[in-house]
Amino acid sequence: MRPFKYSASTTINSAAQLLSANPNARILAGGTNILDLMKEDVERPDELVDINRLNLSVVKPITEGVNKGGISIGGLGKNAETANHPLIRQNFPLLTQAILAGASAQIRNMATNGGNLNQRTRCPYFYEVSMPCNKREPGTGCGAREGINRMHAIFGWSESCVAVHPSDMCVALAALDAVVKVQGSSGKVRSIPFAEYHRLPGEMPEKDNTLQHGEVVTSIEIPKNNFASKSYYLKVRDRASYAFALVSVAAAIEMNGSGIKQAWLALGGVAHKPWRAFEAERFLAGKAATADNFRQAAEMEMKQAKALEHNGFKIELGTRAIVLALTRAMNGGTA
Amino acid sequence: MSDLNKSIGQAINRIDGLLKVTGAATYATDYVLKNTVHAVIFKSTIAAGKIKDIETGEAEKAPGVLAVITHKNAPKLNEKGGVRGGALLQSQNIEWYGQHIGLVVAETFEQARYATRLIKVSYEKAEPKVDFEKHKKEAIAPKDNHDAIRGDVDTAFGNAEFKIEAVYETPIEHHNPMETHSTIAFWEGDKVTLYNGSQIVNGAQGAAASTLGIPSANVRIVTPFIGGGFGSKGGQWANLVLAAVAAKAVNRPVKLALTRQQMFNSVGLRQRNHQRMRLAATKDGKLTVLAHETTTHCAIDNEFVEPCGDCSKVMYEVPNSLISYRVVPMNIIIPTYTRGPGKSTGSFALESAIDELAYQLRMDPIEFRLKNEPAKDPSNGKQWSSRTTVQCLQEGAKAFGWGKRKIEPRQNQQGEYLIGYGVACGTYPARQQNSSAIVKLTRKGNDVKATIELAASDLGTGTNTIIAQTASDALGLAVNKITVKIGDSSLPPAAGSVGSVGAASFSNAVNDACEKITDELMKKSTKQFFVRPTVANLMVSENLTAFETRADAKAPADATNYSSHSFNANFAEVWVNSLTGMVKVKRFLAVTGAGKILNPKTARSQIIGGNVWGIGMALTEESILDPRWGNFVTRSLADYHVPSNLDIGTIDTIFIDEKDTIPNKLGVKGIGEVGIVGVAAAVANAIFNATGKRVRDLPITPDKLL
Repeated sequence: MRPFKYSASTTINSAAQLLSANPNARILAGGTNILDLMKEDVERPDELVDINRLNLSVVKPITEGVNKGGISIGGLGKNAETANHPLIRQNFPLLTQAILAGASAQIRNMATNGGNLNQRTRCPYFYEVSMPCNKREPGTGCGAREGINRMHAIFGWSESCVAVHPSDMCVALAALDAVVKVQGSSGKVRSIPFAEYHRLPGEMPEKDNTLQHGEVVTSIEIPKNNFASKSYYLKVRDRASYAFALVSVAAAIEMNGSGIKQAWLALGGVAHKPWRAFEAERFLAGKAATADNFRQAAEMEMKQAKALEHNGFKIELGTRAIVLALTRAMNGGTA
Repeated sequence: MSDLNKSIGQAINRIDGLLKVTGAATYATDYVLKNTVHAVIFKSTIAAGKIKDIETGEAEKAPGVLAVITHKNAPKLNEKGGVRGGALLQSQNIEWYGQHIGLVVAETFEQARYATRLIKVSYEKAEPKVDFEKHKKEAIAPKDNHDAIRGDVDTAFGNAEFKIEAVYETPIEHHNPMETHSTIAFWEGDKVTLYNGSQIVNGAQGAAASTLGIPSANVRIVTPFIGGGFGSKGGQWANLVLAAVAAKAVNRPVKLALTRQQMFNSVGLRQRNHQRMRLAATKDGKLTVLAHETTTHCAIDNEFVEPCGDCSKVMYEVPNSLISYRVVPMNIIIPTYTRGPGKSTGSFALESAIDELAYQLRMDPIEFRLKNEPAKDPSNGKQWSSRTTVQCLQEGAKAFGWGKRKIEPRQNQQGEYLIGYGVACGTYPARQQNSSAIVKLTRKGNDVKATIELAASDLGTGTNTIIAQTASDALGLAVNKITVKIGDSSLPPAAGSVGSVGAASFSNAVNDACEKITDELMKKSTKQFFVRPTVANLMVSENLTAFETRADAKAPADATNYSSHSFNANFAEVWVNSLTGMVKVKRFLAVTGAGKILNPKTARSQIIGGNVWGIGMALTEESILDPRWGNFVTRSLADYHVPSNLDIGTIDTIFIDEKDTIPNKLGVKGIGEVGIVGVAAAVANAIFNATGKRVRDLPITPDKLL
């Protein structure tokens, strides 16, 4: 890898200041993605700001503010610890399922929550530095658009970029209406609704999210909900473990008597960001929880999808996956 | 004494197990040599054309850099010296994406890798031939694989009432051993020592010497432990020789380890095979036609054809048969031997087609196979030394509960899962190759110990252990009195751990040496023996403190008069999620007839390993090329999916009790290759039985089952 400066900070402020002072600095947290990217010469920072000593790994109930009654998870909390925390298992089993569906046990032990949000796409054209990639090197073109794109987007892609966000955890957080708390060098804390955190590629695929340079993800707040017993994370993939999603679905249902009061649906493996299925959600509100309604909702959502050369199957698979995830959510969140 | 005589056939633990689990086993890059520096390869970013220029100035000035070697300054090497695939920095020519075009030597690995990024290469690009779909029609008959024709396939097929014609596709696969190809090179004067994982120790020695243009005696290969190879460490690749070149250039020991990403275009691959099958049978299930036509690709200037038709040659009695190959040179790295070469891919086509035809006849596929069992090897008319296909099928059917299977698909459903059973057979030739071994005995008081020496290799399969067991029985010494020294070209020459010849060749050589030393000691003695004494008795009675001998073992003279093979039958139970298309192989059973099983524990592991790769072949493994540029988009173990633990259900192994001393004295047939043969077809056949869907292109990923 290229020579770089290593800086370690002990306060959010000093970390934010170090980052702000150097536009080519990057955060080092769990290191499960940034170090790989540096070894492959994809990311070429000249400074790493190590934030592992910041005290940002606590899982705790939120006692004030708009998300009062919810749970806050620290930006530096490890994915594995977050998934297995009793407060998370009890209140947000959807998040537990999603985190445990991702990566491998070893990676989950190292990877942090903030890092999970900020990880880069696994598009092979992004990784292979001799290939064109607008995300890695704006203006070089998109290798995947006319290339091998079986794993790529069916929603919200642009001619500049057809990559997908690789996270499972984020798909659940999108469905859970989480809020990302970030802090910059001014000390000011911003709250970003999860649906606005990640971006669609548009003409600026190099920008994955709305985090500004110099800001650190301090925590993620998950509001209280009433669907813990009716939620499910379904991940369809090429092998049973350690594979990115072909399509994944985070589904949750709150019932009102025998009808659906509200449904929450987010899809992974289909877009540059976790894809919140608002169309399907709107359709399901007030309807009976029947297989037929699930199917109609799924088809409605998938109508907006636009396949590339190799990923047409994701439209039928996504439809089926939504139905299955909703069905399993209704069955108490088990397969 | 009676227990000692039974080490062969005992499921003893690996004698090197402790070394491995404690990290003390020395793999190629584990040797610590003073002043070692590091070499990092850099690679072409086009698949065809010429290098116009390489600018290395900036890299040469980078911190820690000792040398940059490219075709401009590399020493002249013999490109026909036995290194596969070339890439020896001898010219500007580029024949595939990711071909080595140079290397940097620096004090540290990181410095070397950084410097590779400062190198600027300009190319004169040519249109690469990388799209197999586009180029397969240009395939021509290879030089070394002539069409094997029996009877009249076209007429018989035309007239047949029951027949299938189908194309089966298998993708490019990579070996992906855990240990990437790595070498430490160290010169002393004009002699070089190469620490390098090599399946064929003497082969590596010869190739390195010949390529470097020095006598074999000046090259020593050290490879006591290998972190897997699966064929990719059978041939020698450029890393072996380039490490020596780099070490010479900087006059220090050089360590060169390929990265995982570099592995995909550095050390060969299993090529894509397009297999057209035509099978026909009479109404009562007698095969009348078996045509197996393979189209594949090879390197631009070097032919290698995986023998996909091998199983079709020997598995069934059939009067009209055609086995043919057509091959098109392409800008893809040269294919090479890959586990179960030809047989694993070929059996997918053959055994799927057999299953398809059995279904067309509405006949149980086991019954169909039994009806077409050949009395002799159909390819050459030789007698079988032994053949266990029938036993494998029958014992397997019983153990697996095959009777519960319905011939019609989609008859077994539990919730959203469709359950199916599949069966498929396999085979692999059994051969003993020339190997020599030295036995050295030492004695202190009544304590007699033996050291066994030969240039064998242990891929992780258990070679060390079976050699100790063989010597233990032949010498009458306990296993813990035996030291095994292998993996060093300075030891007596031996066969390689390739093509399932290792166990038979090594164990027979060691057995010969041990019997010989006992005979020699008896001859020395003036005493009369009523029972054959052990070497320990003799060393004590003759008052010897050290004694040694060497044997040069060959296969029995009449072995080639027979057709000798290992055989198997594979049974799979799959659960297919009817909504998502995800497949789980819930149960798998491999029944294998492979002659004498030297160690049931390591043998079981070998078979399971083959089965797991076969399941991967069926369901997950595929290397995908960008058809425009020739780069692999599957470029790490995150993209190239070997099965995970969760993909694999229960695997059971049964070995048929078989005594066949025609191929070799100890009756060892070899199990390294056969474990993968027939596996993918068993899984694909089970998927058909579960879903009614016949998938003929591997891997069977969820999208193909929607």
